[in-house]
Amino acid sequence: MAPHDLRRPFKRPAISDQQRRRELSLQRQAQNRLDAQHHARRLASTLLFLQPPQSDPTSEPEPDPEPEPEIAPEPK
Amino acid sequence: VAGIELPHKQWPELVEALLSNIHQLPAHTRQATLETLGYICEEVSPDAVDQDHVNKILTAVVQGMNASESNNDVRLAATRALYNALGFAQANFSNDMERDYIMRVVCEATLCPELKIRQAAFECLVAISSTYYEKLAPYIQDIFNITAKAVKEDEEPVALQAIEFWSSVCDEEIDILEEYGGDFTGDSDIPCFYFVKQALPVLVPMLLETLLKQEEDQDQDEGAWNIAMAGGTCLGLIARTVGDDVVPLVMPFIEENITKPDWRQREAATYAFGSILEGPSPDKLIPLVNIALSFMLTALMQDPNNHVKDTTAWTLGRMFEFLHGSALETPIITQTNIQQIITVLLQSMKDVPNVAEKACGALYFLAQGYEDAGSSSSPLAPFFQEIVQALLTVTHREDAGESRLRTAAYETLNEVVRCSTDETAPMVLQLVPLIMMELHQTLEGQKLSSDEREKQNELQGLLCGCLQVIIQKLGSSEATKYVFMQYADQMMALFLRVFASRSATAHEEAMLAIGALAYAAGADFVKYMPEFYRYLEMGLQNFEDYQVCAITVGVVGDICRALEDKVLPYCDGIMTQLLKDLSSNQLHRSVKPPIFSCFGDIALAIGENFEKYLMYAMPMLQSAAELSAHISGADDDMLEYTNSLRNGILEAYSGIFQGFKGSSKTQLLMPFAPHVLQFLDSLYMEKDMDDAVSKTAIGVLGDLADTLGSNAGPLIQQSVSSRDFLSECLSSDDHLIRESAEWAKLAISRAISF
Repeated sequence: MAPHDLRRPFKRPAISDQQRRRELSLQRQAQNRLDAQHHARRLASTLLFLQPPQSDPTSEPEPDPEPEPEIAPEPK
Repeated sequence: VAGIELPHKQWPELVEALLSNIHQLPAHTRQATLETLGYICEEVSPDAVDQDHVNKILTAVVQGMNASESNNDVRLAATRALYNALGFAQANFSNDMERDYIMRVVCEATLCPELKIRQAAFECLVAISSTYYEKLAPYIQDIFNITAKAVKEDEEPVALQAIEFWSSVCDEEIDILEEYGGDFTGDSDIPCFYFVKQALPVLVPMLLETLLKQEEDQDQDEGAWNIAMAGGTCLGLIARTVGDDVVPLVMPFIEENITKPDWRQREAATYAFGSILEGPSPDKLIPLVNIALSFMLTALMQDPNNHVKDTTAWTLGRMFEFLHGSALETPIITQTNIQQIITVLLQSMKDVPNVAEKACGALYFLAQGYEDAGSSSSPLAPFFQEIVQALLTVTHREDAGESRLRTAAYETLNEVVRCSTDETAPMVLQLVPLIMMELHQTLEGQKLSSDEREKQNELQGLLCGCLQVIIQKLGSSEATKYVFMQYADQMMALFLRVFASRSATAHEEAMLAIGALAYAAGADFVKYMPEFYRYLEMGLQNFEDYQVCAITVGVVGDICRALEDKVLPYCDGIMTQLLKDLSSNQLHRSVKPPIFSCFGDIALAIGENFEKYLMYAMPMLQSAAELSAHISGADDDMLEYTNSLRNGILEAYSGIFQGFKGSSKTQLLMPFAPHVLQFLDSLYMEKDMDDAVSKTAIGVLGDLADTLGSNAGPLIQQSVSSRDFLSECLSSDDHLIRESAEWAKLAISRAISF
């Protein structure tokens, strides 16, 4: 139980540049992840708007689909 | 041994056995017993010892500290034991009588003739101020008198502790006042007693006196810590605690001393001014800084004393750090004075290493103040070339190893690059071959002593860090990226060679730089993968230097986004390693949330090819989700960690659902849907997730609905999340949450419209 060291940072900035580099990288990665996610969702939303529900590729095939070309354009 | 056995209730008789020694005659037995009790309290968590034993330990310890104990060794052991036992004394500090008694004995011990006992007693007061701040009120006047006397008259080790008491009270009050002003909590559990504000009129003059007690050459000694340094640090904390009120108490001291012939007086005055620049309002400080600025610039050039120049450059740095930037209405740096400021700082970078280091630091914050210039013109642009040249010259100084000078120069170069604008991009580009050449030189295999190698590794870390900043800067705009990428092959070859060193810091920096390069290179990065892969795997296996592991996990994400499905050949290896990391007890827990997020990155990149990993990843995600859903009673740290874990899990789900979107294999995810929805429901019911988790969670609901479509319609309709949680998020104040909720609403309406 030696006396406890009580030195505080002296004339030093609160965070080091190394810490800043780490944090900025994490921020960039988080932003890129968000962008990738948005991109995926935006594609999906665009499809949602472009496609009438009947032409959804993930839905069960309808026995007798009735497309409505006069309301929504055909998907490419 | 007690540290291991007591928590398991395997040595119940130990404390009683020790306590029976306390009344033994031989002093050394009492001393050894108190030391042992102290060690036990240091090692064992307070909940492993029952209150009855705590009471008896405290009684024995406080008795040992009492003035009636004639043996100083016993008294010292008891005082040090109390320091360790304070964490156990919650109940005793809630009892007025017991607390009064403990406080009286501690305060008496601060007056003991034996220095070590006084020092240990002040250490107890410091610990009490942080552990039992809310109980201090009845004693604060006495403590003030005791600490003031110690600061003025006692020997240095004791005076340092007495100052530390007030620094510690400042820490507490800064935390409480921050919570008062916080947007979220609105209030603090502990009220602020404004001890510092009340003591201000006597506390500040007392600390100003300490500033005059500098040691010769303290700035050249990295390990120095003395009463002047502690006093100035405390004054800085006081300024942060009380703000404007400190200014009128300090200004007369500055005015009186700043032009005195004795360097100690000039330095103390400058240090006092630098110390109060964080905390008070800009309105209060800017008029003073406007006057001080030109005085300081002259002093930095002309003062004959290095110590004064060191503190002057540091003070200029503090002015730029806190009072210069786009957020401030009145600029302290204008077209009229910027030329002089830069000339003085660059000139000062040729001064002795400690002064030059502070000048670099000032330039760092000068550049930082222009970071919001964006792509428009920066006032620093006309000086860019000159600044960069001066910084590079500093890195080549023979004595750049002293006072962290080389590090400071590279770090300032980083900030200058970060805050640069398009107009100076060609000059940043010119830096690339220069820094690469420097890095190349560090890799040439000379035989080095271990000391030299350590310095070499440090330099490699700095150079990789600098290249990382440049890659990030030039890679962020299409125009500059194209030209810059001509260096990519050479740069990558250098980074790979850095992995041959054994330095964790160098690895970390090289890995960060490679992540930035992958982002800039996009799909072209694939050509580096055959060579780079082994280092990626090595990084993921580095449990010991968990920072390296964490950064490597982030780089896997960068690579996934850059390569998309071309990352597939490497995924078996990467997933194997990530799953191992998750199962490991050795790996620091902070790395686990990013690993889950990384699953999402991989799944989004390789789409339905993630199929073969589902059987491994999903059970891990499920069990982590179950663990993280309910954490009632956890403290703030635990809640913060849990929320980061939840976020990682949700990002994994999001990536997996989106990755499978549109594939013929979406039905493979159906079996997991009930669990995911249940997880979202329980998060909603727990009401303890933060905004980031809310945003990700409601987004996952959309991703699930989007990918599984009508198959999941009935399940979604049954979930609470699709109703209450969604409608709460749709009307959230946070636009990111609203945006995710809009997405979920759209995807759900489609899924259930069949």
